[in-house]
Order: sequence, then C-alpha cells, then structure tokens
Amino acid sequence: MSSELINLTLRVWRQSGPDSPGQFDNYQLNGVSTHMSFLEMLDVLNEQLIESGQESVAFDHDCREGICGTCSLMINGQAHGPDTATTTCQLHMRRFNDGDTVTIEPWRATAFPIVKDLVVDRSAFDRIISSGGYVSVNTGNAPDGNAIPVAGSQQEVAMDAAACIGCGACVAACKNASAMLFVSAKVSQLAILPQGQQERSERVVSMVSQMDDEGFGSCTNTSECEAACPAEISVSNIARLNREYLRASLCGRD
Amino acid sequence: MIRICCTSVGQKVLMALTGLALCGFLATHLSGNLLLFAGEEAFNTYAENLHSMGVLLKAAEVGLLATFLAHLGLAVSTTAMSRRARSRQYDEKESKQGVFALPGGGASNWMLLTGLGIGAFLVLHLVDLKFKMRPDLVYPTDGGAYATVNTVLSSPVSFAAYGVALILLGIHLSHGVRSALQSLGVSHSKWNKLIEIGSMLFAWAIALGFICVLGWVVLSS
Amino acid sequence: MVRVASETLNSRVPEGPVDQIWDKHRFNMKLVNPANKRKFSVIVVGTGLAGGSAAASLAELGYEVKSFCFQDSPRRAHSIAAQGGINAAKNYPNDGDSIWRLFYDTVKGGDYRAREANVYRLAQVSNTIIDQCVAQGVPFAREYGGTLANRSFGGAQVSRTFYSRGQTGQQLLLGAYQAMMRQVQLGKVQMYARREMLELIVVEGVARGIIVRNLVTGQLETHTADAVVMCTGGYGNVYYLSTNAKGCNVTAAWRCHKQGAYFANPCYTQIHPTCIPVSGDYQSKLTLMSESLRNDGRVWVPKNAGDSRTPAEIPDEDRDYYLERRYPSFGNLVPRDVASRAAKERCDAGFGVGDTNLAVYLDFRDAIKRDGEDAIRKKYGNLFHMYHKITAEDPYKVPMRIFPAVHYTMGGLWVDYHLMSNLPGLFVLGEANFSDHGANRLGASALMQGLSDGYFVLPYTIGDHLATSQLPTVPEDHPACVAALQSAKGRIDQLLSVQGTRTVDSFHRNLGQIMWDNCGMARDKAGLESAVGQIQELREQFWKNVRVLGNGESFNQSLEKAGRVADFLEFGELLAKDALHREESCGGHFREEHQTDEGEAKRNDEAFNYVAAWEYHGVGEESTLHKEPLSFDNVPPATRSYK
Repeated sequence: MSSELINLTLRVWRQSGPDSPGQFDNYQLNGVSTHMSFLEMLDVLNEQLIESGQESVAFDHDCREGICGTCSLMINGQAHGPDTATTTCQLHMRRFNDGDTVTIEPWRATAFPIVKDLVVDRSAFDRIISSGGYVSVNTGNAPDGNAIPVAGSQQEVAMDAAACIGCGACVAACKNASAMLFVSAKVSQLAILPQGQQERSERVVSMVSQMDDEGFGSCTNTSECEAACPAEISVSNIARLNREYLRASLCGRD
Repeated sequence: MIRICCTSVGQKVLMALTGLALCGFLATHLSGNLLLFAGEEAFNTYAENLHSMGVLLKAAEVGLLATFLAHLGLAVSTTAMSRRARSRQYDEKESKQGVFALPGGGASNWMLLTGLGIGAFLVLHLVDLKFKMRPDLVYPTDGGAYATVNTVLSSPVSFAAYGVALILLGIHLSHGVRSALQSLGVSHSKWNKLIEIGSMLFAWAIALGFICVLGWVVLSS
Repeated sequence: MVRVASETLNSRVPEGPVDQIWDKHRFNMKLVNPANKRKFSVIVVGTGLAGGSAAASLAELGYEVKSFCFQDSPRRAHSIAAQGGINAAKNYPNDGDSIWRLFYDTVKGGDYRAREANVYRLAQVSNTIIDQCVAQGVPFAREYGGTLANRSFGGAQVSRTFYSRGQTGQQLLLGAYQAMMRQVQLGKVQMYARREMLELIVVEGVARGIIVRNLVTGQLETHTADAVVMCTGGYGNVYYLSTNAKGCNVTAAWRCHKQGAYFANPCYTQIHPTCIPVSGDYQSKLTLMSESLRNDGRVWVPKNAGDSRTPAEIPDEDRDYYLERRYPSFGNLVPRDVASRAAKERCDAGFGVGDTNLAVYLDFRDAIKRDGEDAIRKKYGNLFHMYHKITAEDPYKVPMRIFPAVHYTMGGLWVDYHLMSNLPGLFVLGEANFSDHGANRLGASALMQGLSDGYFVLPYTIGDHLATSQLPTVPEDHPACVAALQSAKGRIDQLLSVQGTRTVDSFHRNLGQIMWDNCGMARDKAGLESAVGQIQELREQFWKNVRVLGNGESFNQSLEKAGRVADFLEFGELLAKDALHREESCGGHFREEHQTDEGEAKRNDEAFNYVAAWEYHGVGEESTLHKEPLSFDNVPPATRSYK
C-alpha cells in the first residue's frame, strides 16, 4: 500500500492551565502521510511547533495500541474520531481527505477538568473504583482457582464488561456527561461473577453515590456512549446497574 | 428508599415509574376515546359512567396530577444535574449512531422540550374539556360529552394544537418507553430487539390512536 | 579493559535443595509484629503488575504505603498491554506439568543465565497467583463446565497458560489496581499519580526516599520512607521504536543506578519476531501481533531478491519458506530469538519485502485453504482486524508483512534473593529487576514474574529488612534529601537552559537508530564499539543543542521527554558496553563472532556463566563489573537446538 500525502488545517483547543480561558488555534499541516496514526500526525505538528519556537500541544497518550485508555480527543465532534470501536491512537490519517479541517477538542465534563490543552484530569474514575469497584480479598486468602466454577457463557459476559479501558469516551460523548457506562461496566463484571457476590449491594450503592459526587450527569439512555466506546461496552450493562441498584435499595441492608 | 430520590440512578428509576404510569393512563384514555368511533351513544354512556365514579375519579385525578408533577419535577432535577455536568459545550459535536430522523441525535435529545410541549397542551386540554372555559368557543348545552368533544375539536385552533401535541407525544414516547424500561433494568440480549420494537409500536400506537380520533372527529363534523 | 571487582556479589540464596529453599527461608526471615507494621512506611514507584500488587499486599499487611506513577491513573501502566497470558504449574489439563517442569522450562528458555533459586520460587508461587486473581474477579477464560481454560505457548510442551482473550495483562492489572484502590479507600495507600521519580534519596547507604516531580504543577516533592520499592518496568524505549508504551523509560532505575545500585545484564533484550513493520520515519511505536499467529501462518520471502510481483503472483517454487527450510522440526514455531534473527538474516541478504524491504510475509493462504476463512477468523479475528486497521491491508487476502521489534528487557537493576538491590532498603520488582528470565524470556512469564514479586515475595522479604535494620526518621530537610532535591532541580534547569535547535524526539530517534543498528538482534565488536562512540557524541550534541520550551513550573511534556531521553543517552552506552564485554551469544544477546557453523547462538559457559552487574562511576566513566557467578545444579546447561 503506497501512502498519499494530504494537507490539513487543524483547529486545536489550546488552554494553558485549568483556570485559564482557552481558545482554538489554527495550524496548517502539509504533507501528512495517510499511513500515519492520528497521534503521529500530532507528533509531527508538535515537532514543527517546537522548531518554530512555539510550545507543543499537550495531549495524553501512552501505549498507542488501544488498550491503556490514556488517549482521548474529540475529533470533529466525535470521541476518538470517526471510526467505531477505535481509540484515537489506532485512528489513521487515511480516514481524512486532502484539504480537510480537523477540529480537536479535549473531553469536556465538569468531572474531567482540563489540565492543559487537550489533557484532562480523569482521576474521578479512580475515585469511583476505589469507592467499591473491587472484591475485598486480601492476598493469600484465595481458594483454588477451580473451587468455584464459572460457566463459560457467564464468564464471557463478565469479560465483555471487564474490557473497559477507562478512557472516558462515554462521558465525553454523552450529552449529559454521564459516567454510567464506565460505572456499570465494573458493577456488571463483579455482579455477574460469583466472586463479586458478597459485596454486590454495597458496591453498586457506593459507586453510584461516588459517581454523583464527582459531578457526572444522569443517564438519558441515548446509547451514544455505546457508540463511542472503543471497547464496545454495551448499554445492557447500564440496565444491569439499574437492576442492581434497585435490588440493593429495595432488598439490601441499610 | 430516601436514597432513591436523591441519586441520579434513583431519580431515573422514579422517572421511569411515573412515566410508565402516565403511559398506562394514556392507554386507558385512548381506549375510552376510541368509543367515539362506536357512535354518540356509546361514548356518552362511557363518559357518564366515568363521571358517576365520584370520589374515586377525584382520587384518580389527584393521583394523576401528582404523577405528572413528579415526572416533571424529576425531569427538571436530572436535567439540571446534567447541565452542571458539562459547563462548556463542544464547539462541534457529532453522533456516532448514524442518521437520525431528528436533528441532534434522536428523540432522546428532545425529551424536555417535547415534555414541556405536552405539559402546555395538557393545560389547554383541561381548559377545553374539563373546565370548558375556552373563551373562543360556544359549548353546546346538550348532546353530552360527544357534542362537547365535537365542538372543541372542530375549532381549527384546537385541531392544530392537538395535532402538534400528539406528534410531540409520539416523539416523547418513542424514546420514553424504551428508556423507562432500560432505567428499570429491563434488558436481555435475547429480548432487547423485541422490547425496542414493542416500545416503539406502543409509543406510536398511542399517538396515532389519538390522531385518528382527532381526524375522525374533524372529518365527520 | 573492563574493571572487575575482586569480590563476587552475594545473592543471599540460602543453602539447601532448590525446592525447599523458599519454605525454609520464609521461616528464617525476621517478621514485623502486626501492631508494628503501621509504624513502617514504604514507597512503591510504578503501578504495573509488580507495583500494583506490591502496594496492595503491603497495605493489606498494615504498612503505610505511598504509591507513585507518571501516568494519569495507576490503571494505565504498560502491563495492561500484555496480550497472551500468564503461566502457572497448575497441571489442570493433566498433561504432565509440575512446578519442576515450569522451573526447568524457564531456566532453559532463559538460556542458562538466570538464578535457579529465583526461578524455582517463581514456579512455586505461580499457582497461588492464579487463585488470587480469580478471587479478585479476573475473568480468565473458562471451559463450558466452568473450570479454568489453558492454552499452549512457546517454549513449553504443556498447556499451562491462563488467559483472558487477548487482554490478559489488562485483566490482571485491573485486578491488582482494584486491590490497590481498595487500600486507597481504606487510607493505607496514598496514591500519587502524574508524578515522575527523578532522584533516589540515600541516607548512610540505605535507600530512604525519592524526589518526584508533580507533572501537573511542576513542583518537586520529597517523600521519605523506611524502604523504597522500584517497579518501573523495562528500558526497551532506548531503541526509540519498541512495543513499549511511549512513556516507558529508564529514568527511575537509572537514578537508582547513579546512586549506587548495580545494573545487571542490560544487554539482554528481547526482540519479538511478529510485529507490524515500520511504515515511515514518523513512526512512533511498533505494534505486536501475537506469537500465536505462527501456529497457522507460514513465514516466507521471495527466492529472487527484489521480486516485484505481488505476493499472490509469486508461485510456491519462487517462495523461500526459510524457517521451515532451516528448522524442519520446529518450522514456523521456533522460539522468538531464533525467528527474529532468521528474519533479519533474510532482509540483510536483500530478500526483504514491502516499501522498505524490511519485512517478511506471514501468510495464511494455506491455513485458509485448509480450515476455511471462518475458522481462521474465529482464532485470530481480533488480530486480523487490528492489522487491517493499522495497515489498511486485508490479511485474509494479502499475506501480513511482519518484522521483529524490541519487546521486553530481561536486564535490570541487580537484586538478591530478597529482591533487594545492593543498596539496602531499595527493592526492585518486575521487569525493572534482572532476576528471573536469564537471557531470554518465555511467553506468558512476564506477568507471572511481576505478580509473584508483588503479591508473594516482597511482602515476606521486606519485613526481614524492616525488622533487622536501624531506620531513624529522615526529616525532609535532611542533607541527603536536600541534596537529592537540588540534583533533580539542577538537571531540570540544565535541560531548560540549553535552548538549542533540535527537538528531544529527534535525539531519541537518533539514539534508537544507533542502538537498533548496532545493539539489535545481532551484535558484533566493531558495531558495538562504534555505537559507544556515537552515543557519546550524540549525548554531547544533546546537551549542547536540545530545545526544551516552556518552564519547569508547569505541565510540560517536552521537559518530561527530555529528562527521559537524557537518561537513555547515558544508559544506552552501558547497554552497548555490556554487550561488548559479553563475548558469547545467549538468548536475546547474539554476538556474530560467537555462532555455530549453522548460524546458531553459541554460549561460553566457562567464561560467562555469571550475572554482569555494573557499578556507576560517572557519565562516560568506565563502570566496575561485579560478577555474580551462576550455578546450575538442577538444570544442567545444554545447547538449545530447534533443527
């Protein structure tokens, strides 16, 4: 596959710090190979900016193979860009045409304050997990791995939920900046597996409460999160969270 | 239980319950109205029977009003929560869900507006037919409910307002019913398609049912 | 001439039969009274499998833990990207596995350059790792009946690999992360994300704290504790292009080295044979395609150099299935190091394919013909999809193009049997230490090692150190802390003050090219010597001409990168010198001067049967070599053959 070179106009959100006002800056970037990944294109932009004495655009990224969940970016109004089931780091420039204007914004949510440019603070997710997204089992306490069988099919559903990479695209894409898909994925995984049963009620109640405290919006069941999710987490997990929550509220201990 | 009223998930559950209760009312209301097709006598008998229920009817009306206000209140509350959750909007925002019939990403984006529209219509509807106080209309003194309905609906103003409101209702329910079921945790990979189609059918059956009644009354008068 | 220390290193491996050492030693080690544990604080740097599991386990025991990571969340450590699985000697498939066999395979796979006692302990605790992870809710693959499923992996004749689809690392890491976040909630772990360790604080020869930079505010922070645990991963990014995450770096380990910790076997690097080739000079990282693909794919290059036909047009008689030709019994399933070198040999000889001529074909044509496209899709669908996404070529129709890439580093900070470095109080876990894989790591063993160190080894051995050491309180204004802080600050100021014209990345690329060309899959004396010179020259250039914009008191990604590349520029030299000194071929270290007539690796057990641990004396100064002799009492060394 031979590569093509395209020219792009980038409209990039620049913001020097959490409290500074931000603005869009336009950059012309020529000779972009269509084989590049989107982040490599930003690397090239940054090299050019530094060479011309301007500070590079800050953006989060790490593994660049779609699993760590560090990369973000709202690209032309879509979380992780136009492809489905794809993170920004796996998006390639062949998805764009010569002469395109590409608008790049950070995730926008009150619970994800902007750190700089396109970098946001997603520690709210960590706090939600620490409020209950685990099984309380100390090291050394475990019975044999085969002591409790888990049906293959059940395990598959748990794994579907466990595949969440915690990138925050669900929040970014949701018109309400709701974190329900993220929270429900963890609640589901542990509600399905026998290992998670002991803390099932407490878990869902405290995770939802933490989610609200962080300032995420409420779920309107638009399923935009599911469409934006690079790990293809299903909204059926949200239904399961709702069930779990009802169950915990009506039947759980107080 | 108190917890339910305060959290985002709890509020959506209550929203779903009140919404479904209102759907139940709509279904009953529509089945009554369909008696218009059976002719003047049948409809009037139904109306008289209904009004003869006395206290029971009053209680139902109060309950209905409370449900409606709760639904509205919860909508305002959750919307406010969601507004706070994103203080600055995106400069550009595109859905990843493909093409929608409505701008901005489907009926779910229009719930508050369609809901408020329906609320406004409800006030008109009560003024028209419950309090019979529409200034521009001369209400018939005899002929029972059938005649009153005919008088009200024959007015071009009513026709337009009712027509618009019913379309809003259809849009509102087309997302509302499915969403309510999801909020209550009704979901199963085997049945989700059916639930989705069923919800959609129910929503538009209600809306189109009322529209048929409206059309029939207008055409037949 | 290499300066060699006269005394050999003491690995503190207890005497006795290898299968009883750990049990006995656990009894012999001193314990910290449960009520006293809360009086001790431990710093854990890094939150991958080793760091996450260590922080969680130590906090559960009652220690006060401070955990640090440079990522925005502890869940993003690069352990998350491990695909294949984790080994354990459960013998669930009833196919003859045992602790002894896992021990044997790992020692042999490491080409007889690992410490037997450590490897045996690793095999011993492997089973409890699986139990622990299951109990945490890690969704390992299951059979229909609900029992745990296994698959086979390279270097073993039994099925002992546990897995969660192609995301085993992710699931294990999230398990450890969640266990740690539980301790955060309980107040036993203080989590510091977006902090980069810049200096180790050593007080009277004992590691007592670290200096970190808060990457958001730019503030330098001093943290002291009773012990410091380094879980900071490998140094593969010294090659610039690798399968590592962009942020992976050697800085934390290198800082410890500069404070006196020995760096062991840096030349042991693993080059993975099946990665997507470089497509252009903008390339920022390489993507691994799982080793499992070689079960059904056939590797070939055209017989005629420069054959310009499309692969489909090249008939079988013009194809060279070189692995099948050279290794008829193992064929396409030879171990990683062998497959990588063979691909390099073909490309060097001019038979490479693709735009750059640096790739070979991995062809599924015959497998699809034999089993049908659906069967292949079922097995490898996600990998084919990923390949398609990156290259825009459909591997169901066109053979994949693959090329080896740097993947893992077996070398690391030297540690004894307690996982403590030669600096008392400094423990090193996971990929950051050198201990368990020798000169080559087997597939599915990295996850095992990280979790073994963190869950089941460190919690015992750290107690012994804390119980037996005098650890007076170190105030933040202690001269050692102040000096470390000044050193970290000085370096930042120095980077910012150069104000040259070249970007950090351009230096990093340059360094990577030098390393790859001279210290890559095959090394020779001339190349290594030239690499040392080139690195020194590049380092000098860097300090004269690097351009780092912005300031130190704010979020500044250029500055972060600059600090890491500066350390790589020092570390790369040590790697090359270690490779230069090791006049033999073993595992991932292939010296062209030392090969058999058939081009296979030739070990020199008489002269090099030791761990090479280097002591730092200054930038560009010759390091002192400390030797830890290795003995193989249980797995007698033999030549690996895959013919």
